[in-house]
Amino acid sequence: MRIIACYSNKGGVGKTAASVNIAYELAQSGLRTLLCDLDPQGASGFYFRVKPSKKLKNETFFKDVKRFTQAIRGSDFDYLDVLPANMTFRDFDIFLSRMKNSRSRLKKALKSVNNDYDVVLLDCPPNISALSESVFKAADHIMVPVIPSTLSERTFEQLLDFFKQHKLPSKKLVPFFSMVQRQKKMHTETMERMRSNYKKSFLNESIPFSTDVEKMGVHRAPVMSYARSRPAAKAYQVLCEELRETIKS
Amino acid sequence: MSIPDNKHFILLGTLQDNTRASKLGKLKLDYQTPEDSVRFTLFDSFDQEIRHSGKALILSQNVLTLIQYDGETLTQAAPKAPGFVSEMDDGPVKRALGFISPLRRLLAVGQGTLSRTVIIALDSEEKTHARAHVHTLQADKSGTPITLATIQALRGYDEAFALMSRHIAQLGYPLGPDIYSLYEQLVPDYTPYNPKPVLFITKNEQAFKVANDIVTTHVQIARQNEPGIMADYDTEFLHDYRVSLRKVRSVISLFKGVYNVEQTLQLKKAFADLMSPTGRMRDLDVYLLDRQHYYELLPESLHDGLTIMYGIFSKEREKELKKMKSLLKSSAYKQSIEGLEKLYLEPGALQPGPNADRSAYLYACELIWKRYSKVCKIARAIDQTTPDETVHDLRIHCKKLRYLMDFFSLLFEANTIKSLLKSLKVLQDNLGLFNDYSVQQVSLQEFVQNHTSRNREKDLQVAKSVGALIVILSQRQLEERAKVVSNFEKFDSESTQQKFRELFKHQQTKAEVKA
Repeated sequence: MRIIACYSNKGGVGKTAASVNIAYELAQSGLRTLLCDLDPQGASGFYFRVKPSKKLKNETFFKDVKRFTQAIRGSDFDYLDVLPANMTFRDFDIFLSRMKNSRSRLKKALKSVNNDYDVVLLDCPPNISALSESVFKAADHIMVPVIPSTLSERTFEQLLDFFKQHKLPSKKLVPFFSMVQRQKKMHTETMERMRSNYKKSFLNESIPFSTDVEKMGVHRAPVMSYARSRPAAKAYQVLCEELRETIKS
Repeated sequence: MSIPDNKHFILLGTLQDNTRASKLGKLKLDYQTPEDSVRFTLFDSFDQEIRHSGKALILSQNVLTLIQYDGETLTQAAPKAPGFVSEMDDGPVKRALGFISPLRRLLAVGQGTLSRTVIIALDSEEKTHARAHVHTLQADKSGTPITLATIQALRGYDEAFALMSRHIAQLGYPLGPDIYSLYEQLVPDYTPYNPKPVLFITKNEQAFKVANDIVTTHVQIARQNEPGIMADYDTEFLHDYRVSLRKVRSVISLFKGVYNVEQTLQLKKAFADLMSPTGRMRDLDVYLLDRQHYYELLPESLHDGLTIMYGIFSKEREKELKKMKSLLKSSAYKQSIEGLEKLYLEPGALQPGPNADRSAYLYACELIWKRYSKVCKIARAIDQTTPDETVHDLRIHCKKLRYLMDFFSLLFEANTIKSLLKSLKVLQDNLGLFNDYSVQQVSLQEFVQNHTSRNREKDLQVAKSVGALIVILSQRQLEERAKVVSNFEKFDSESTQQKFRELFKHQQTKAEVKA
């Protein structure tokens, strides 16, 4: 079982859209996939029409294997299950800080579904916290959506610094450009600069800014399920192919 | 906790409009019918391996679906109808059909129309809680449709799954407890085929009746293979045809005194005549099936000669097949085999011999014990100096012993007979290979001697390759021959001797004392 996190220390970068669409595409390729919504806003679950879990509250996520597995719901799509979030997830940091070995707690909880899935995708909340440290420890790969803007460039650098300071393997980071508007000069220039500064670390494919993605909230489904031939959906498909190669290697 | 399994239903009847409920508890039911009804074909091997394994293979619109009574329903794309499993495209269905003999072709056994419906149970957010795939199959030849429903297990929605299961179960009468009932509905005229039936006989049955039953059953099996031989679906039809006739012949010669002398001679001749035209075609089939193996035996430099030889064999087989077809269609053949069937059907038509009235059990004990003693006597005397003919004799006696034990197996304790047959099989396999290598050498020699064409260079190539093959086969034969003594020693263990004695000798002595 591979654990892939979708993480950004900045909000509004297309992180949940990426989690939802990547999870969908991996499942479509036959990989048994679990999408774990760790963001208390519960957007991932919303996109799959799964109601917030009532019983998986507070520490139970990390302590009660039975409750954890019982909260998983099958999505409307083959091979794809969802663990919906609820508002108590916002206090994960507090629970984790109270617990011993807090950084390996998440990995332990995920171990309980080890045989059920080929891939677990974690949709993480946008901050650097005790939870994100757990995520960094548990995940095999950390996908980082980056909008090619000055502000995003800065947050990506902050993330790299954090990894260095805490001696975390930056190899785990799989950044990719998100919400790209090619008509904006700043976007293309930033992309060029960052690709040359962080050689080989960015995925080749980037996700364009798209109203099709925005409409996910109306359709309440992954963009590939209703607009598969549109540019954004195609970009996610290519991105997933690259991701599968990365997972293999 | 793991992901729940899907649930399957096989129901008699169809999804009626009046059974289309709009609600399932608090959930809303939605019905989706993807297309109008389409054609389907049901496939199986002639020996019905798919049916016997509790599965059904359906081809519809270039998709193969394998229904497994106690398992997941599998599908894979199929651009054409399936033939031999080895020739199918790779996929989950092919992988699940691995148990089918590589020699058997899959044949269409039934046809009809198929209609699909997906029933979905949705909550207020339009989220699916349960989904059922319903396939209704209507066979062309049968009036009653069959509904196959698979309820897809969605993790975390156990309640909806249970509700949907109950709902589906009410749509028709459940068929079961196995896949056989599905075949009964879809292929009402599906005749069972079992080339190795266990005949029901009782201890006190007359030997005469037992012999007649075995002959009648095996003639019937042989006849079931006639259409398949003519259509040349696969080589197993001719093989089973010959095995059945061989069993008939061995009953006639092994059950001494059950028919009177004249009758025995007449039957022996009649069945030998039926079998003799099939020999060459079977030999060619064996060569052609072993093609890969022969190529592997020789270095590449000698492959050209083999290719020429195989070209000749293929052409010869075509001719033999034509001969077989016209033979099986001929009135002479029909007269002959139907005459034999009639002879066995008409009471009083067969002439019983002095052993006709003996009880099956005592008769079986005597025949088996005698044959077993003979096998031991020959085998114990075999050493390095023994001529090959004696080893061939041993093979034939072992085969006869096996047939006798098979014919009468129901009269003896099942596990003991099974274990004895198992230990005999090791020796038989060894002797079988010894015989095959020897027969092949002789026949290849004959082939080279009789094969002349206008192309001397090609003839030379053939002679070289076949010559090399004969050398290898002769080595293999020697290797098998060397194993015979040790394999017999294993067969001749104390416990096997004891079991043979207890099962067959002991009873006979008791019976003799009683008499």
